[in-house]
Amino acid sequence: MDIHITPLDFGKAAVTVVGLSKTFGKVTVLENINFHVDEDEIVVLLGASGSGKTTILRIISGLEHPDSGKVILHNRDVTDLPARERGTGVIFQSYALFPKMSVAQNIAYGLKIRRKPRKEIRETIDRLLELVHLEEHRKKYPSQLSGGQQQRVAIARALAYNPEVLLFDEPFGALDAQIRAKLRREIRALLKEIRVPSIFITHDQEEALELGDRVAVLNSGRLEQIATPFEVYNNPETEYVATFLGAANILNGVVDGRRFEAGVVTVEVEQESATLKPEPAKLVVRPEDLFLRKPENLTQKYQRLADGTIKEVSFIGAFERVVVKMELPEQPTFVVTRPKTETAAFPLRPGQKVTAGVVRFRILKDKKTRNEPKKRAVA
Amino acid sequence: MATNLSAMRHVRGFDVVKPLSITVMIVVMLPLILLPLASIFIFGTGKGLASFWAALNAPEAIFALKLSVVTSFWATVFNVIFGLFAAYVLTKYSFWGRNAVIVTISLPTAIPTAVAGFALLLLWGPYGTLGRLLDPKGVHLMFTAYAIILANIFVTFPLAFGVIKPVFDTMSRSLEEASATMGASRWQTFWHVTLPSLRGAIVSGALLTFARAVGEFGSTILVSGNLASRTQTAPLYIFAKFNEGQVEAANAIAIVLALLSFVIFSILFFARDWFDAD
Repeated sequence: MDIHITPLDFGKAAVTVVGLSKTFGKVTVLENINFHVDEDEIVVLLGASGSGKTTILRIISGLEHPDSGKVILHNRDVTDLPARERGTGVIFQSYALFPKMSVAQNIAYGLKIRRKPRKEIRETIDRLLELVHLEEHRKKYPSQLSGGQQQRVAIARALAYNPEVLLFDEPFGALDAQIRAKLRREIRALLKEIRVPSIFITHDQEEALELGDRVAVLNSGRLEQIATPFEVYNNPETEYVATFLGAANILNGVVDGRRFEAGVVTVEVEQESATLKPEPAKLVVRPEDLFLRKPENLTQKYQRLADGTIKEVSFIGAFERVVVKMELPEQPTFVVTRPKTETAAFPLRPGQKVTAGVVRFRILKDKKTRNEPKKRAVA
Repeated sequence: MATNLSAMRHVRGFDVVKPLSITVMIVVMLPLILLPLASIFIFGTGKGLASFWAALNAPEAIFALKLSVVTSFWATVFNVIFGLFAAYVLTKYSFWGRNAVIVTISLPTAIPTAVAGFALLLLWGPYGTLGRLLDPKGVHLMFTAYAIILANIFVTFPLAFGVIKPVFDTMSRSLEEASATMGASRWQTFWHVTLPSLRGAIVSGALLTFARAVGEFGSTILVSGNLASRTQTAPLYIFAKFNEGQVEAANAIAIVLALLSFVIFSILFFARDWFDAD
């Protein structure tokens, strides 16, 4: 793909990365990454370990240099500037608070380096301590604070010098599950209040969906899709995105005109997925979009997929999880989740024959250009 | 027998092994460490404090103590700064031969001090590899205070490095990276972030180096020439006076050196936590 972009194109974005590529030795870590982050926007880079997400963050902050591509912060090309001249605010996974400095000294650091007047520094510390609710911890040292408090100090410390963008490196990785959920809501609320563009990286899909205005899904150094949480979940553009974000049942087949065909299965597809000639494609259905009925009970509301036999029924709290062996050429097992209203109306047990119907699904046409990467990066 | 022993171990809830093992430990230490140290003090003050003071106040004795402190001080200054620098370089950069450098820095620990002194003589002495070139120019390093500093540097070379390097190793890289993203230059990062974390290690390294240098004998006796009131350090003074049969004179200085090392080791023992406290 050729990229011709004039400076004007970066106008509104707080952060733009263009064609970023990076290899470490023989391992390709990033391959032609393009995206932007708007003012006030939170973008989450989601990927497994080794997907290259940390490298993107390090390249934006200047701690790593790309082999090719550009980093633009507020219309300024910073690709060749060292980290200290970029003015990004990085919140490290370990927070990286300076252990020999008090909370106030940590927050003051960026301003002291910039030789700001004392009065301004003191006022900034006061304002930020209030913002992150740490007024009474001003004189404490990092080792005397809890993980959540340390994180807030790290954020305040970065905000002190009005960063171009806040970069969060797996900020909740070191915390336990209950605190994580609470903290990410607090931080999202805080970021929305102060309106600073932010990039998060995480491998936790739930975190990505909840935290981001947009989610960028990375796979082995390539950007698979970047869109709103609703879009990436409901309209995944690749099989990887479909399976990485939530569970997905996948059926290989062919789209011909407005029909998807896989062996005995025929499903009518929407106009936008229609083709002029037969094309290989995948049918993707979320477990909650698959409905199990007695063969005679499948109403017109659903498109019939195939019959199957219940293999396993398990209770997982709010939902029931059912594994069904489908009567299809490859005999795939599909996963279905059913809400309480449905489990009460139509209880299921292993061995039972059912018919599966769908309302909502996604057609993914095979892209011949999307080869699997030769080597996987290990970060 | 086995039953006897286990019966003995606890007499009405009293653990016999505890006082027994402590006693054994002390008894072993007594003739080896504690009594020799005690006898310095007993003997040195045996003829009254007045003669102890007189022995201390001898001009040669005062000179020897001063020379020891001054030469050890400069060796310490050099080795702490170099140790810090070397630890920084060896932590931050990986390069071909890096491990060889680390081994070389640590090597003086394993070299007998007499060998170290002899090696310095062979290099810097009037007929030495480099000394030969300096001699016609009137520069004589050996048999001067500089020779003593050189010997002290050689012998205590690995000490400060050995204390500082492990602290560098455990220091999180992200601290320096955080400092850089916040706008700090390398020097600012080193000064404000790296150095404060090394305070404790620097103080310990300096004290260890100084303590070792003050007591150095084997290399100094070779390179200094042992000239009274010129190149005679405190340990050499003890040796010289003992050889001359002036045991009181030797003893007075021995007491001072022993006390000095007590003080240094107390600081090392107790102050490290204080320096490293967050």
